[in-house]
Amino acid sequence: MATRSRPISSNFLLLKITALFVFWVLLSSSFTWIHLGLGLLCSFAVAWINSGHSPFVPKFRLWLKFLLYLPWLFYKIVESSLHLSKLILHPALPIAPQLITVEPKLSNRAAVVLLGNSITLTPGTITAEVGRNKLVVHTMDSVLREDVANKHIESKIADIFKDQEPDL
Amino acid sequence: MNILSIIFIVAGLFFLIVAAIGVIRLPDVFSRSHAVSLTDSLGAFLMLVGIALHEGLGKNMLKILVVLALLYILNPGITHATIRAALRSGLKPWKKETP
Repeated sequence: MATRSRPISSNFLLLKITALFVFWVLLSSSFTWIHLGLGLLCSFAVAWINSGHSPFVPKFRLWLKFLLYLPWLFYKIVESSLHLSKLILHPALPIAPQLITVEPKLSNRAAVVLLGNSITLTPGTITAEVGRNKLVVHTMDSVLREDVANKHIESKIADIFKDQEPDL
Repeated sequence: MNILSIIFIVAGLFFLIVAAIGVIRLPDVFSRSHAVSLTDSLGAFLMLVGIALHEGLGKNMLKILVVLALLYILNPGITHATIRAALRSGLKPWKKETP
C-alpha cells in the first residue's frame, strides 16, 4: 500500500495523542489528577503502539470536502426517510423490492467504502455485497432505486476524491 | 428550548413507530431491515438531538453528539453485515407476484 511507506513524523504522533486524550477527557469528564494522568498514559501508549503500522496521515482538504458532503447526504436521508414512511404507512403497501447491481467508476478504496456506507445509510437502499468496483444494492421501490441508479451520489464522492492518488 | 426539544423527540418517536409498523408489515428480512434502518438514521437522530437540546450546552450534550457520530458510523456496517449474511446463505429476496 502506498500510504504505509510514507514516513510518520513525531508531529502526527503528537496529533494522535492529543486526539485520543481529548476523547478520553470527553468520555470521563473527571478532572482529578489520577484520571488525567491515566488518560495521558493510555493515549500515549495507544498512539505509540500504533505508530508503526498506522497509515494515518491527516489530509485536511479531503476532510473539509467530506464535511461539506455530509449536509447533502443528510438531506437525501430525510427525503428518502419520508418516502419510505409513506410506503410503509400506505394501506396497499406499494413496494417492489429488487436487487440491482451498480458499477461505480471510483479509483479509491475509501471512496467505494464511502459510497457503500452512504447507500446503506439512506433508508430504502442497502448495500448487500461489495466488490472492487461493483456493488449489489437491495432497493425498496422504483423511486428509491432511481436515487442509486442515477449516479448522483457517485459523482459527489468522485468529486471529493479527485485529488487523491488512486489505489484501486 | 424545551418546546423545541419536545418537537424533536416527538418527531423521532413518529419515525420509530413507523419503523416498528414496517417491521411487522413488510414481507422478508431484506425489506424489514430497510424499516430498521429508518430507526437508525432519522428516528435515533431526532431523539438524540431532542435530548441534547434538553440537556443544554455542557458535557452531556457533547457525549450525546459522540454517541450520534458513532451511531452513524457503525449502523451502516451492521445493516450491511446482516443483509450480506442473508444473501450469502441463499435467501431469495421477496418479489411481488404478478397476477
